[in-house]
Amino acid sequence: MTRFVFRAFARVRLLLAIAVPASLVAAVAFSSATAAPIDVDKSVIEAQDQRITAIKKVFPAVVAVCMQGGQGVGSGVLISPDGYALTNFHVVQPTGPLMQAGLADGVLYDAVLVGTDKVGDVSLIKLLPKDKANPKPFPFVALGDSDKVRTGDWSLAMGNPFSLAMDFTPTVTYGIISGTNRYQPPEGKGLLEYTDCIQIETSINPGNSGGPLFNMQGELIGINGRGSFEKRGRVNSGVGYAISINQIKNFLGHMRAGIDTDHATLGASIGTANEDAPLTQMVVKQVLDGSDAERRGIQEGDQLLNFAGRVVTSTNQYKNILGIFPKEWRIPVTTRRNNERHETLVRLMGNIATEKETQPKVDAPPPPPKAKLPAPKGGGDSEVAKLYVPKKGYANWYFNELERDKLLGEVKKQGDFTSFTGAWVAEGKYEMGERKGDFRFELTEGKDADPIVNLKLNIEHKLAPLKDTDRRLQAEPIGSGGLMLALYQWHRFLTKGAKGFEGLFAHGGTEPFYPYPVDGKNPKSLADLRTDCAVLKTKHGSTESKWFFSEKDHSLVGFETFTDKEREDPCEVFLSDYKAVDGTKLPHRIEVRFKDKRYAVLSVSKYTLGKK
Amino acid sequence: MLVGTLESETGNVKLEPPETTMNMRYGTWILAVILAVPFNAAPAQAADPFNELAKKTNQKMVKVFGAGGFSRLNNFGTGIIISPDGHILTVASQLLDTSELVVHLYDGQRLKAQVLAVEPELDAAIIKIRIEGKKIEEPTGLNLDYFDFAEAAKRPHAETGDWVLALSNTFEIALRDESLSLQRGVVMAYAKLAGRRGVFEFPYTGEVYIVDAITNNPGAAGGALINRKGELLGVIGREIKNSLSDTWMNYAIPVSAKVDIKETVKVKDKDGKEVDEEKTITVTMPDFVAKGMKGEYRTVTRPKTALGEGGYHGIIFVPNILERTPAYIEDVVPGSPAAKAGLRPDDLVSFVDGEPIGSINLFNTWIKKNTRTGQMLRVEVRRGEALQTIELTLGAHTAKPTPPPQPTPQPK
Repeated sequence: MTRFVFRAFARVRLLLAIAVPASLVAAVAFSSATAAPIDVDKSVIEAQDQRITAIKKVFPAVVAVCMQGGQGVGSGVLISPDGYALTNFHVVQPTGPLMQAGLADGVLYDAVLVGTDKVGDVSLIKLLPKDKANPKPFPFVALGDSDKVRTGDWSLAMGNPFSLAMDFTPTVTYGIISGTNRYQPPEGKGLLEYTDCIQIETSINPGNSGGPLFNMQGELIGINGRGSFEKRGRVNSGVGYAISINQIKNFLGHMRAGIDTDHATLGASIGTANEDAPLTQMVVKQVLDGSDAERRGIQEGDQLLNFAGRVVTSTNQYKNILGIFPKEWRIPVTTRRNNERHETLVRLMGNIATEKETQPKVDAPPPPPKAKLPAPKGGGDSEVAKLYVPKKGYANWYFNELERDKLLGEVKKQGDFTSFTGAWVAEGKYEMGERKGDFRFELTEGKDADPIVNLKLNIEHKLAPLKDTDRRLQAEPIGSGGLMLALYQWHRFLTKGAKGFEGLFAHGGTEPFYPYPVDGKNPKSLADLRTDCAVLKTKHGSTESKWFFSEKDHSLVGFETFTDKEREDPCEVFLSDYKAVDGTKLPHRIEVRFKDKRYAVLSVSKYTLGKK
Repeated sequence: MLVGTLESETGNVKLEPPETTMNMRYGTWILAVILAVPFNAAPAQAADPFNELAKKTNQKMVKVFGAGGFSRLNNFGTGIIISPDGHILTVASQLLDTSELVVHLYDGQRLKAQVLAVEPELDAAIIKIRIEGKKIEEPTGLNLDYFDFAEAAKRPHAETGDWVLALSNTFEIALRDESLSLQRGVVMAYAKLAGRRGVFEFPYTGEVYIVDAITNNPGAAGGALINRKGELLGVIGREIKNSLSDTWMNYAIPVSAKVDIKETVKVKDKDGKEVDEEKTITVTMPDFVAKGMKGEYRTVTRPKTALGEGGYHGIIFVPNILERTPAYIEDVVPGSPAAKAGLRPDDLVSFVDGEPIGSINLFNTWIKKNTRTGQMLRVEVRRGEALQTIELTLGAHTAKPTPPPQPTPQPK
């Protein structure tokens, strides 16, 4: 520490020495200026005003990320009044889950890691208010739309380069956007891959990592994280990169839920048909066995036309589009084979193989300070340490429980089913292609208190979910992907909640969900169906399910139940037409889909919810 | 990535807290003081929308891919389109030493190109897009957006303090239809430049634009320096170091570049005796471009040009003690071209590319005169009683380590 202070002091002295002649020059310029006022173009004044306004607006929300003890390691930015802030993963890598964060007001706050996106090099941290009983809201910035950023736009980068500001006042640099939708390959075992990122000439230097990039309206458009360097050393080389805020938005739900997130692969390798051809054509080179891409009918040689609503023209472009999505998201993909277009939703696969789960060895992590630090404030039993709970697959399990319980609290407002633990009956009409008729679903308890599902769609089906563990039985009725098992899971979810899922009951972040049009027609574009949802993931026995809650009103719009997650598509259940039933709300239209096809639509006319 | 082998050299590195920061900060401050004056004197429309300018200029430029990809040499660069038919102005780098020269247009088209003219004195080259199945003289049928070079060269040069924009494929960030990188800066000076390229002298000795943006990174050479109206000012040059300050230069060779070359030629006087006469040859960029595009340019030959180092082979000969020490190999540098090709100690180098080599001195001179990096060399050696033919690809001389920058003295 002493060494650092000394060096910092030396810098200050040097600065002062230079500042003297500079201020002299300024003084001379001023005296002549008063004699004949400079006629400054109006647009210059306007641009200056815009700059000052933007900087003033966002200045207080810029964070200096520090080790415990206050040694600076990077930058960050607050995005909510309750203290959530974005930074780089490679900035919090040396700090561990507990860190400190300084704001422009000169105050150093305790902070804790919330969620991480290692591949994307982003982490979410949370600052703790000083007065816990009466917390003051933190200053924060608005998230912009990075898809609107264009080459040549002006931008502002802020942060704490060279850990320069001992009082945490951010440094502001100003420059233009050099390029958009840039691809920069991963560093070290597939991590720190910058996809669809923003290239800037706005000066960023060591210590700027994790800090914000703003447009001239003061909206957050990116997180500064790396640069291209070569012979000139690791300082600004005129080429810096910021992770686009639109990519971060896709991962924000996961990070808020304390998840150690992962990016995705398609399950098929894509390449140019002929590297030497005048114009590129992207084709499927290979399809991974057992991948969702294979099950969706994507084949080797298919031409890839459109991915997530964007036209694919080059390998970089493809990597850009793929790289902004978390694993397991379903993304519309359009391919062409024999002049026939085919659009389908592909469930993306994980990117980080299990062996990569070990801590990454990156090329140049910000070195933790070598100088002796004062004993870290707050040991294991400090206030901030209570907010950290380690768990495999999670950056911080504490925040998963927090978000999960918050979501469940919202869901419960729509109906509390905990007392309806008796038999459930639902009756109404079913439609199955040309076939129509009455349906009846009943869930009761057998002799030894084991659940039994009865489902009548003209033909009667029966399943004892805990005894019939054979996957073929679980997948009945044939063609439904396991509707009885799915309905059993649903009942269990509503009545038992967390207690019903011994294997897993976790928040799964956010995912798009695609409910099909009620009229059964094929939509023009699958992307139009997208409904953004918060997700819960459960596991009971060997059955995994995913529950989708609309971000708009927290209603359960559907769920997926997997009889065999590795090899088979799930039974997809879409719930709508919610109506009041016994003081709760239940869906009166249930659409069941399996393997891209509608299996049946159940129109419920009556629910009977038994109590014990 | 095409730069795979250069990973350690050109790889991206994250920003980490510094070891030392004084020099840089000092430099920035000085810069700020210099710039403060023109900013006040010439009010600039700071809110210019550069978006359209960037887009339009990008359509008048290409990404160039050619020879290189090893030993600090990039196989990527930038070029400026100067005719609708696909004439391209770029720098005279090793990139062009290939029959497989390729350019990517702004719309992603990948097309072959061929060198038409090179002028080392201007460090400039003209290449032309060549359509498959057509001869180089035939029209390409392309109708590209382009810079009118002759018009550009007629304009007065930009002044110190003028705003400029730079477009280039710096660090090979862009491929196919991806747009080039845009940077913005101010002309710091229009002056002659004393530079070195790594450890070698830089051939161009005329005036350059020195800019305050970091424009001259790997791959940026051949990029365009334009003013805020989108008019071409100059060609971004190769990476060079200032030999005085040991700092990397950010500069562009102006469209109106002019170099006077003084050379002594042998002429016969009236008595028929040979005497030396000093002659000045003027080489200009507009002349080079005009003639080069027509394929009529003849590169200025300078008989007295100092010899380069030639390509790198990695052969260590026996101690060269005589005027005519036989070219016996004592050792080869591990990993060098010679080692890779299989040359061994005790081999006697007898012929190089068919030329008889009688001594180490002859070998060295021949290499310096006739070879360069990337060139294939056929060496015949006597091994035991037999002659063996061995082919090796010459590498580049590694840059000698430059001394660490001296701390800048504190101003009084």
